[in-house]
Amino acid sequence: MRLFDNPVLTRELLTTLRSPRAFVLQMLYIAALGAIVYFAWPAESEGLRQVSPSVARGLFDIFFLGQFFLVALMAPAFAAGGISGEKERKTYELLLASPLSPGAILFGKLASALAYLVILIVSSLPLMILCYLLGGLLLSEIIRAYLVLILAAGTFGLLSTACSSFFRRTSSALVVSYLVILPLAVMCVVLTRTDAPSVREFVSIAVLPPWCLAAWVVLAILVNRRLLHPPDVGSEGKDVIDEEEEMKYAIGVVIDRDLFPDKLFAPAKRTDLMPDGANPVLDKELRSEIFSQGTLMLRVVIQVSMLLSIPLMAGLLFLRSDKAGYYVAYVLTFNMLVGPVFSSGSITQERERQTMSLLLTTLLRPVGIVAAKLIAALRVSTVLTFLLTEQIVLAYVMLGELRARLWTLMVFFLIIAVTCLATSTIGLLCSALARKTATAMVMTYLALLLLFAFPIGVERYLAGDQRFTDSQLAAFTVTSPFSAALNVPMHTTRADMAGLNAQPLKVADTVLVNVAGLRLPVWLIFLMIYPPFCLAGFGLTCLVFRFRWWRAGVQG
Amino acid sequence: MIEVVNFTKRYGDFLAVDDLSFTIGKGEIFGFIGPNGAGKSTTIRFLATLLRPTSGEGRVAGHSVTGDPMAVRRVIGFMPDDFGVYDGMKVWEFLDFFAVAYEIPRAFRKKIIGEVLELLDLTSKRDDYVSGLSKGMKQRLCLAKTLVHDPPVLILDEPASGLDPRARLEMKALLNELKQMGKTILISSHILSELADFCTSIGVIERGKLLAAGSIGEIQQRIRAYRVLKVRVLGEDTTRAKEVMSNDPSVRQIESFDHTVTAEFVGRDQDMARLLERLIQSGISVQSFAEEPLSLEEVFMMITQGVVG
Repeated sequence: MRLFDNPVLTRELLTTLRSPRAFVLQMLYIAALGAIVYFAWPAESEGLRQVSPSVARGLFDIFFLGQFFLVALMAPAFAAGGISGEKERKTYELLLASPLSPGAILFGKLASALAYLVILIVSSLPLMILCYLLGGLLLSEIIRAYLVLILAAGTFGLLSTACSSFFRRTSSALVVSYLVILPLAVMCVVLTRTDAPSVREFVSIAVLPPWCLAAWVVLAILVNRRLLHPPDVGSEGKDVIDEEEEMKYAIGVVIDRDLFPDKLFAPAKRTDLMPDGANPVLDKELRSEIFSQGTLMLRVVIQVSMLLSIPLMAGLLFLRSDKAGYYVAYVLTFNMLVGPVFSSGSITQERERQTMSLLLTTLLRPVGIVAAKLIAALRVSTVLTFLLTEQIVLAYVMLGELRARLWTLMVFFLIIAVTCLATSTIGLLCSALARKTATAMVMTYLALLLLFAFPIGVERYLAGDQRFTDSQLAAFTVTSPFSAALNVPMHTTRADMAGLNAQPLKVADTVLVNVAGLRLPVWLIFLMIYPPFCLAGFGLTCLVFRFRWWRAGVQG
Repeated sequence: MIEVVNFTKRYGDFLAVDDLSFTIGKGEIFGFIGPNGAGKSTTIRFLATLLRPTSGEGRVAGHSVTGDPMAVRRVIGFMPDDFGVYDGMKVWEFLDFFAVAYEIPRAFRKKIIGEVLELLDLTSKRDDYVSGLSKGMKQRLCLAKTLVHDPPVLILDEPASGLDPRARLEMKALLNELKQMGKTILISSHILSELADFCTSIGVIERGKLLAAGSIGEIQQRIRAYRVLKVRVLGEDTTRAKEVMSNDPSVRQIESFDHTVTAEFVGRDQDMARLLERLIQSGISVQSFAEEPLSLEEVFMMITQGVVG
C-alpha cells in the first residue's frame, strides 16, 4: 500500500486545501473555541484558586463533547462523498482501472477526509492545555479524551467511506452513515462520560481501542473487496435497478409498493397514463425517483431506526412513561437525519443530471415544480417518521397514566408533523441555494443543528447562571422541537392502574415564556412559529429557484 | 417563423454572440453551422427561452422570446445538446411526463405517445427503463419528447453528436421525415455533411458572428466568382474538347485528366448551355457535362477563411 506517495490522497488534499475556505474554517473554529475559553475564564476577583478547577472541568466537557459531536457530524460530511463522488463524477471506472490497489484508494480517500478533521482537533490542543493550567484536570484525562476523539474520527470516517462504496449517491451514503454513527456516538459519550472514573478509564483504554481496531479491519476488508470486484461499475454504476429483482435478494425488510404502509411513501408505479391536471413533477418524484437508486438506503434506514426504537421504547415509554418526551426526541432526531435526504437533493439533482433545461422549457411554472418537490419530499419523510410513532400510540393505549393525558399525544404528533414540515422545507431551500446535492445536504444539516440543537446547548450551558430566569432561557429554545417535546408537561408519579380516577396524577410544572404579555408554553410557541416560517421558506425557495434560473439565463 | 434581430450575448468581457440576425421561413430547415464554441448553443438557448440576451430580440411564430416565453415554449420542441434523463422511469412514463408538462389532455396522450414511439422506432423499447437506453436511443427519446406536443418549430442542438454512423443515418432519415411533415427546423451541427442533404438554408457562425446566411445555392454564388465545369468525353476527343472550350470567352484555366476536362466558368447559365451546344456541334462525344457542386465543407472553409465578407 502506498502511504505517502498516494495520488488519491495528494489530489484530494490539493483540492481541499487549495481553496482558502479550509483555512478560514479552521480560523473560525479556533476563534469560537477561544471565545468560549475567554468568556468562561474566571475573573480575577472570583479568587482563581477556588473556582478554577470546576471551570476547567466545565471547559473540558464542552471541548470534549463539542469536538466529539463535531467529529461525528463532520467525518461523514467529508468521507461519505469519497467513493460515491467518484461514481457521480463518472471518474470511478478511471480510478478502478488504474494500477492503484483498492487499499491505496481506500487509504487515500480516508486519510484525505480525516486529515482536515484531525488538523482541527489537534489545533484545539493549545486551548485545552490552557484549561489544564487552571488545575482540576489530570493530564491522563486529556490524553484519554484525545485518544477517544481520534478513534472516533477513524471509525466514523471509515464507516462513512464504507457507506460511500456501497451507495451510488453521496446523499444516500451520508444519511446511512449518520444513522449508524448517531447511536454509536451517543453510546460512546454515555460510556466515556459516566461519573464512575473506573468505568470511564476502563471503557476508553481497554474497550474502545480494540473494538475500533476490529471494526476498522472488518470495514477495510469489506471496502477492499468491493473495490476489487466492484459490482456497480458499467455505465458508471448507474445500471437500471429492477425493483422486483432487488426484492428477491434483499435481506430483512423488503419494500412492497402495493402493501400498507409502504404504499403511503412509495405509491405503486403507474401502469397507465397520468390523469388530467396531475402535477407531473409530483407524480415523477413519488413513483419513479424514490427507488431509482434502489431500495437499499431506505431499507437500511427503516431497519436501523426500528431496531433502535425497541430499547428506547422499552426504556422511555414503558419503564419510565414520564420520559415519553425523550422518545419523541428520538423520533425527531430520526426525522432531522432522514427528512433532508428527500428534499435537499430534489432541485440540485435536476441540475446534476442535466434535466433542468428539459424541465424549464415545458409549460410548468416554477411554483408548481417547487411545490411538487416539497410535497413529495414531505410525504416520504413524514410517513417514514410516523412509522416510529406506533410505539407511542401503543404506550398511550396500554398505560393508564398516559391515557389520562391523551392531549399530550396530540401535541407530540403535532410537534413531529411540524418538524417534518420544517426539515423538508429547509432542505428544499438549501437545494435551491446549493449547486451540488452533497453541499445542499450538509447545509441543511447545519441549518437544522443551528435551529434545533444549538439553542438547547446554549440553554444547558447557561442553566446555572443567575442572570437569566428559566423563562428567558426557555425563550432561547423555541425554535427547537426537542425543547418543545421535552417541555410538554408529563406526569411525575406513576398512577395506580386501578384507582386512576380517584388519584389525580401529579404533573410537572411547565416553564412559560412571555410573548407580548401572554405566558405561553414552549411547545405552543414552537407549533405557532414554524408553519408561517415554513410558508416563508417555501416562498423564498420559489424566489431562489426563479432567481437562479434567471441568473442562469444571464450567465449561460 | 423564427426571427432573430440583433441578438447579442456578452458574458463579462467575452462576447459570445455579436449582433446576430437571421430569419427562418415556415417549413424551412435551417442548418446552423460553426465550429465548437462559435455561439451556436448560445443562440439556440436564447431561442428556447433559457437565456436572456444582452441586447436584441427574437420571435418564434410571432411570439417574443423575451416578452412571452410561455407562448414560445408552446410552439417549440427543444432538444439540448447535453441532456440527462430521469432515473427509474420507463420510456412511456418519460413521454407521459412531458406530455402532461405540455398540458396535453389524457384523451390524446395515449395516441400521441404511440405515434411518437412509432415515428422514432422506439415502440419495442416502450417498457424499458430510460436510464438503461444506449446513447443513440436516448437521443431518439429526447427527440420523441420534443414532438409530444406537436410543435410547429423544432430547435435541435447537435441532435446527432456522439452517435455511431448507423444511428447518424437513422437520425438523418428521421429529420427528413419531420421535414416532410412541414415542421420548421433549426438544427445546429459542427459536422457539415450531416446537414448538407436536407437543409434548405444554412447560417455559418464563427466567433459569435454570422458570416453568411441563406440557401446553399445563394451562398455558393456569393462565394465563388466562377463555377467549376466538368466535361467527360468519349474516345480521343479530349484535346478537341479542350480546344473548343478554350475558345469560349467564359472559360478559363482548363485542365484535363484522362477523359475529363475541368475548367473554371465565369459566365451565366445561358453561356454554359451555348458551350455545350458548341461542343456537340463540333462532333465531340460528350458523355457528361456538369457543374461541379460545391460541398458544404468547401463553403464552410471558404467562409470561415474570410473569402466572403
